[in-house]
Amino acid sequence: MTGAAKKVLSPIPGVFYRKPSPDKDVYVKEGDAVKEGDVIGLVEVMKNFYEIKAEAAGVLEKFLVNEEDVLDAGQEIAVIVAES
Amino acid sequence: MLTRYEYGGDEFIFVELSESMSLEVNFQAMAITKKLREEKVKGLLDICPSNASYMVRFNPEDIHPDELISKLKELEQTVSVDDFEITSRMVDVPILFDDPWTNEALMRFRDRHQDPTSTDLEYAARINGFGSKEELIKAITDYPYLVSMIGFVPGLPWCYQMVPQEKQIEVPKYVRPRTYTPERAFGFGGAFAVIYPVQGAGGYQLFGTAAAPIYQKEQSLHDFKDSITFPRQGDIFRYRSITMEEFQSIQQQVEDGTFRYLTREITFTPKQVLEDPKAFSDDVLGRLYV
Amino acid sequence: MIKVMSPGLQTTVQDNGRIGYYEVGMPPSGAMDKYSLTVGNLLVGNDENAAALEITYMGPVLQFQEDAIIALTGGEIPPKINGQPVPMWETLSVKAGDELSFDFVKQGARVYLAVAGGIDVPLIMGSRSTYTLCGIGGLEGRPLEQGDELNIGNQSKHQVPVGTRVQSEFIPSFSKVNEIRVIVGLCSYRLTEESKQRFFSIDWTVTTEANRVGYRFKGERLNFVEREQPFGAGSNPSNVVDLGYPIGSIQVPDGVEPIALLNDAVTGGGYATVGTIISTDLDKMAQIKTNEKVRFVAVDIEEALQARKENKQKIEKLKQQLFQL
Repeated sequence: MTGAAKKVLSPIPGVFYRKPSPDKDVYVKEGDAVKEGDVIGLVEVMKNFYEIKAEAAGVLEKFLVNEEDVLDAGQEIAVIVAES
Repeated sequence: MLTRYEYGGDEFIFVELSESMSLEVNFQAMAITKKLREEKVKGLLDICPSNASYMVRFNPEDIHPDELISKLKELEQTVSVDDFEITSRMVDVPILFDDPWTNEALMRFRDRHQDPTSTDLEYAARINGFGSKEELIKAITDYPYLVSMIGFVPGLPWCYQMVPQEKQIEVPKYVRPRTYTPERAFGFGGAFAVIYPVQGAGGYQLFGTAAAPIYQKEQSLHDFKDSITFPRQGDIFRYRSITMEEFQSIQQQVEDGTFRYLTREITFTPKQVLEDPKAFSDDVLGRLYV
Repeated sequence: MIKVMSPGLQTTVQDNGRIGYYEVGMPPSGAMDKYSLTVGNLLVGNDENAAALEITYMGPVLQFQEDAIIALTGGEIPPKINGQPVPMWETLSVKAGDELSFDFVKQGARVYLAVAGGIDVPLIMGSRSTYTLCGIGGLEGRPLEQGDELNIGNQSKHQVPVGTRVQSEFIPSFSKVNEIRVIVGLCSYRLTEESKQRFFSIDWTVTTEANRVGYRFKGERLNFVEREQPFGAGSNPSNVVDLGYPIGSIQVPDGVEPIALLNDAVTGGGYATVGTIISTDLDKMAQIKTNEKVRFVAVDIEEALQARKENKQKIEKLKQQLFQL
C-alpha cells in the first residue's frame, strides 16, 4: 500500500548535494524511510549550505535531480510517498 | 606611455598613469590627487590615489564626466612632482616573520602554490636570488616602504619599498587564491608588501604576522581614535623583524589598550627619495629610532 | 520592535550606503536594488535614505511587537501576514503580534521590507548599512539571526494612507535572461579583440557565487593580449599593478570566469577590469539569481547618463503620483 506522493522543493537556487561532505555517505538512498525533519540533501548558494528536509514521514521514492545539479528556486528535488 | 582616462561606468573615472609601478608614478598620482582634493570640485564623492593610477567617484548630476576628465587632464599638465612636498608619518611596524599562524595557513593551501614543496618565504628567497629566508627577511626590513595605496578591504596598505628597481623584491601571487588568510598576515605580491587587516581570502605570499592591528572597529586604541583604519597613503612604514617574546608583549599591550605605534612626522620631497634612496632610508631610520 | 523568529537565508539592514570612504578601502555597501529601496521608503513616508531590511532568496519570519506601517518591494518573494497573502508595492498596516512570512521566491532575488520610521541601528560612518566582511553597520555587523530584535526609528517624514499602491508602470519586471549594460574600458586593452567581442556576444550564467560582494559568471574562457608583464604587476596575464575597482566593474581572473564587483566588493586589487555595469543596471543585477542568464550590452557614456536620468525622472514621477493621492 502506498499513500500520497509529495514533492520536496528547493526554496532557493543553488548547487544540490546529497552528501554532507564529499567523503561521506549520502543522507538518504532512494527507497529509504524518512521521518519529518530528516535532512535529505543540501543546496549551496552564496557560500551558505541550506538543509533540505523532509516535510512529512514516508519513503523517499525517487530523487528528481542529480548530485551537483544547479537548481532553480522552486525546483522539485525528490518525491516522498507518505506511509499509509 | 600616454595616460589613459577611462570611464568606470557613469560614476567613476579611472586614470592609469602607467602600466608599471615605480616610485615616480606613485608620487605623481599622490600629487595630482592632493591638488584635486584642495580644489574641492563640486560633485566629487571619493578621490582614491592608487599605485600607478588613481580613481575618482563623482555624482554625474553635478558634473559631466567629460568635464571632469578635462579637469583631470589639466591637473596632469600643471601638477609637478618637483615642487611637491609630502608631510606624513614614519611608522615602526613590528612583524613576527615565519610565524606559526601564517605557516599553518600556507601549508593548508600548498596545492594552490607555485612550489608546493617549500614555504612561501623559502620560495620567495630562492626566486629573488637570496641564499636563505633570513637574507630575504633582512632585505625586506633593511629599507622602509612608501604606503602607495589603501584598499581591497578597509585599511589594507599596499607598500612599495623605497629602493631602486633592481633591488626591489618581486614575487608572483598564488596560482589560485587562498580562501583563508589569518588576520594581520604580512604578505607580498607583485612588488608590494601588505598587511591583511581582517581574516579573509587572499593571493599574496605569506611571510609573517603583524604584532599590532591596522584595523580596529572598536577604536579602543589611541591610534584608532579618529579612524577605524590606521595606514594612510603617503605614510612611510618600516617593517621590523621581532622575536616571539616581543610579539607577545605587544599583544599584551594591545589587549590592555596601552599599545601605540611608534610614529614620527616627516616632511620630504620625491626628489630626496629618488636621488639617493640609501641616504633617505638612513635618515628615516635615524629619525624614527632616536 | 520587530522580533526575528527565523532569519531567512541572508537578511541584512541596508540604506543607500556608506559613501565617501572608498579611499580607505571601505566599500559603500547599501541596498543592492536602490530603486526598490527608494520606492519602499516612499510608500511608508520615510526619508529616502532610511534603513530597510534586504531579504535575499528566502524570506525570514518576523513578528511585529508594535503596530507598524510597512511596504514590500523588489523581487517577488510573496509575503504573507499571519499566513494570508498580502500585496507587494503597497502601503500595509500591521498590528502588534502580527507575523510576516514569505513563500518561495517566484521572480527576482531580493525583496525590501521598509518600515515607517526606518530600522533603527547605529549610524557607522554616516550609514546604517551592514558590511558583514568587517562586521560593521546594521545589527552588530552581521545578517539577522533568530531571536534578534530590531527597533523601529523615527525617520518618517509624512503619513502615507494604508492601501496606497504603486502603479504597474513603476513595478520592474523580471526575466531569466537579462540584458545588462556595460561601458567598456578601464583595462579592456588587456583583452584580445576576439575576447572583447565574445564577452558581448554570449549568454553568461550566474554561478552560485553570487552575493553582495560580487557575481561570478560561467561562459567561456577569455584571452588576454600577450605581453611582458609590467614591473610590479605579477605574473598572470590577467594581472595589472594593483589599482582601484569601480563598483560594477568586471574582472576576469586568469581569463576563466568574469566577476562583477558589487556593493560589498573589494575596492582594489591586481586583476585587469574590462568594463563597468552602468549605475542604473546595478538594480537589475541585484534581482538576478544563480543559474539565470546575463547578456552584456556595450553602451557609451551618453547612453549611461540618459538611462540614469530616466531612472531619476521615473522616481520623481512616482513621488508626484503617490503624494497627490
